[in-house]
Amino acid sequence: MTSMSRWLDVEVGTDDIDLNTLPSNLALVDLQNDKDYKLLVADFGKGEEGPKLKVFKGTMQTSDILLPELPLGIVGFYTSEAIPRSMPIIAVAFSSAVYLYRNMKFFYKYLLPSVDLSVHEMDVWKQLINSENQTPEMITILQENLKAIPPKILSLQSQNFLALTLDQQLEYLEQAAELPMWKPPEITCISTLKMNSIDQYSVSCLVVGTEDGYIIILDPQTFTTLSQAKLCPMKKTPYRMITTGLYNVDYRITVASREKSVCLLKRESTEGRILFNTEEHIISIEVITADESIIVICTDNTMSCYTKKGKKQWCVNLEHRPISMTLVPVLHLGVTLVGVALTSGHVHFYEGKARLDTLFVRDVASVMRFGRLGQEEHVLIVVTGSGNLMLKILKRTADFNSSAAGVEPAPSAAAGHKPWLIPKKSKLFLEQSARERENAVPMHEAFQLELNRLRLLATRTLLDAHAKSENFMGVGAMEPIGLTAEVEGLGPVFRVTLFVENKSKERAVAGLAVLFHAHTAHYRVTNPYIKVPLISPGGKLKFPTKIEEVFEENINPDVFFRPVTGQAGDRALVKVLLLKEDRKRPVLAATVQMPPTDPMMLPFEKIQSGYQNNAVDWEIERKN
Amino acid sequence: MGLLDKLSTWLGKGRMEVTVLVLGLDNSGKSTMLNTLRPPEQRAQHLMPTVAQNHDSFQSGGVSFTAWDVSGAPRHRALWERHYRRAHAVIFVVDSADHLRLVVAREELELMLAHPDMCGRRIPLLVFANKCDAPHALAPMQIAAVLGLERITDKPWHVCASIALSGAGLADGVAWLARQIRDAHLPKS
Repeated sequence: MTSMSRWLDVEVGTDDIDLNTLPSNLALVDLQNDKDYKLLVADFGKGEEGPKLKVFKGTMQTSDILLPELPLGIVGFYTSEAIPRSMPIIAVAFSSAVYLYRNMKFFYKYLLPSVDLSVHEMDVWKQLINSENQTPEMITILQENLKAIPPKILSLQSQNFLALTLDQQLEYLEQAAELPMWKPPEITCISTLKMNSIDQYSVSCLVVGTEDGYIIILDPQTFTTLSQAKLCPMKKTPYRMITTGLYNVDYRITVASREKSVCLLKRESTEGRILFNTEEHIISIEVITADESIIVICTDNTMSCYTKKGKKQWCVNLEHRPISMTLVPVLHLGVTLVGVALTSGHVHFYEGKARLDTLFVRDVASVMRFGRLGQEEHVLIVVTGSGNLMLKILKRTADFNSSAAGVEPAPSAAAGHKPWLIPKKSKLFLEQSARERENAVPMHEAFQLELNRLRLLATRTLLDAHAKSENFMGVGAMEPIGLTAEVEGLGPVFRVTLFVENKSKERAVAGLAVLFHAHTAHYRVTNPYIKVPLISPGGKLKFPTKIEEVFEENINPDVFFRPVTGQAGDRALVKVLLLKEDRKRPVLAATVQMPPTDPMMLPFEKIQSGYQNNAVDWEIERKN
Repeated sequence: MGLLDKLSTWLGKGRMEVTVLVLGLDNSGKSTMLNTLRPPEQRAQHLMPTVAQNHDSFQSGGVSFTAWDVSGAPRHRALWERHYRRAHAVIFVVDSADHLRLVVAREELELMLAHPDMCGRRIPLLVFANKCDAPHALAPMQIAAVLGLERITDKPWHVCASIALSGAGLADGVAWLARQIRDAHLPKS
C-alpha cells in the first residue's frame, strides 16, 4: 500500500489549526446552500482560549464563533422543505441546553425539561431544611440516608452537599435553606432523525440523549418534545446513538451506553430494551445502513459485528487499541467500509472482517469522519491527537476488490472456519445399513421392477398425449399454450430466454415453431426460427437465444448517455411469434421490450467509428 | 489577434482546423469559458452543468478550433479517454480557489498524460488557472507547481490565469495555443 495508495493527500496549512475536539463535535453541512459542504468543528479550545465553533471551507478556516460552554455534540439539519431552500440549522448541545444557530447566528435556545427529584431524596432534604434538624448528629444520620440513594440518580445539589465537610454543610444549610425541587438534566449525546423522506435536504428532528437515560425527540419547527422514551428499564446512560429510518414511518435508535451495553429504541415505544452487552466499554458504534448490522469497537481491542436482532456475527481482534471509527460508504463501488483508527497511527478499512486497505497517518486519529466536503464526495477527515487536521480524498479509480487490495485476509478470518458438522451415527442409520447389506439382491430386483413399471407408465402417458394432440390437430381449437420471455444482460448482446409452456393437463402439443421478428437495422437475432419439439402435458421448454443490438455506422453520441434503466424507445421492440404447422396465422404473439445497452459495454471500435463519422477530420488540413 | 489573422491571409496561408479537448473537474468553468469565447450575441445566459459533452468552435491566430467540452463530473470522467485520440490540443481548466480538489485535478491530469493515447504525443497543453479573482485563489505558478507541470517533458505546456466569466486571460491562453499549433505544423519558410 505504498506506491499505489487509494487516497490523495490534501495539503493543509497546519500552523494555525489546533483542534481539540471529540468525534461527536464534527459536522459536514452545506452551510450556504451552494453545494459547497463546510466542515464544522466545535472546538474545546486549549488553555485560555474558550470553546469555539470553527468553520472550514476545504482546508481553510473561514470563520468561528465563541461558544458559551464546552460543546457536547453538533449536528446540522433542515427544518423546512420550502423552495428556495432555507439555510440549514446548526444545533450545538451544551450541558442542559441545545443552542440553535441559523446562518451562523444564534437564534434559539432549547432547555431540556427538568427532572423531579426522587421521593427519598426529597424527604431527606425536607428534613435537612428544617432548622430543628440542623445539628451535627442529625446531619450525619441524614447524610447516611442520602448516601444510600444510588449516586446515579442523585441530584447535583445533593452530590455537592455530600462532598462538603460537616461545618460547611451546616453553614450551607443556614445560608441557602432552599428546597431543591428538581435537577437540571444533562445532555450526553445529540443526533438527528429524518422526518418523512431520506432525501438529503428533507426535514429532520433533533434527537437528544440525557444523562438520566431518556431519549427525547424534538419537533423541527417548534422545538417541543415530540416523543420521549426511556432507554431501558434499568438506568443506562446513552453515550453515542445512531438513528436509522424515518420518524413518521419507522425508525430505530441504536444507542451505545456507558454501561457496556447497546440498547435499541423503536418507533412508538416508550421504553427501549437492551440489544446486547459487551465485555468491555464501548468506544464507538456504527450501524451499517444496508442490513442494519451494528459494529462496535471496545476497549479490549476488538471490533465486533452484531445483527440488528443483537446476535453476534463475528469479532476481529485489533492489533492495537482502537480510537475512533467511521463508516466509509463508497456508493459507486457498492461497498460500505468501516474505518478504524488505532493507537499505532494506522487506519484500517474493513469490509466485513476482511481488511481491504490501510492508511498510516503517523499520529493517533482521534476523530475521523468520511463524507462530502467542498465539492468532493469522498473525503476522509482526520483530526489527530495533536490537533492537526488531515484530509484525504478517495481516488476516483480506487477499487476495493479483494484481489486488487493485495492484503491477505485477516488471520482470524481463516481460523474462524468451523469444522464440518457431521452428525453422529444414529441407531436408525446402523440398522438401515445392516439391512441393506443383508438384503442387497432382493432390494436391487425390487428397484429394477419399479423402475421398469415407471418407464412403462411414462411411455404410455406420452403415447396417449401424442395421440390426443394429433386428434385435435384438424379441429383448430386454441392450444392452451403460454409464452413468456426473459431478457438478460447489459448489452449490446442480450440473452433472451423464451419459455413455452403447455398448460393442458392431458394433451401434448406438437408441430410448434417460434419466430423472432425484429427490425434488422436495430437488432440481430442469432437464431430467428426455432422448431419446438413435442411438449408433454404440463411441460415447459426453454429456448435461449442471443439478440444483439446493432448500431448504425453514423452513431448518435446521445446513445452513449441514455439512462441504463428504463426503455430504449420504439425501436427496441422485438416481436415473438408462435407458429403452428399448417396454420396460416400465428398461435400466439408477444412483444419484448429490449432494454437500452449500457454505454459502458459498447465495444470501443464502435465508439471510435462513431466519432470519426461525426467529428471533423483528424488530419490538419490546409485549405488553399 | 485580428492582425495575425489578416497577416496569415495576406501570406496566403489558409486556415487550420484543429480539435481541442477541454478537460477539468466539475464546476471548474469549462463550459463558461467556451461560452465566453463565443461572439456576444450567441452567448447563453445560464449554463447548467454539462452532461456528456458539448462541442463548440472558436478561432484564434488563424486557427479554427473545434472544442469538445466534456463533463467533469466524477462519474463521467471515465469517458474522457474516448476523446484523447482525436485531440490536437488539450485545455485543462482548474478552479484555482478550490484548494481541496487541486490534488484531484492533479490526479486526473496525471491519469490523462499517462494514457496510451496521450503518452508520447507532442500536443500542446494549456492550463487555465481559472477563477483567479476569487478570494484565496492561488497564483498560476503555484497551480503549476501543485499540478506538477514541471515534470511534463513530452508536451509543451503553458499556465494562464483567467476569469472565465469576464473572459480575462482567455485570449492570451488561446493565442498561445494557436501559436503552438502553427509552429508545430507550419515550419517557417
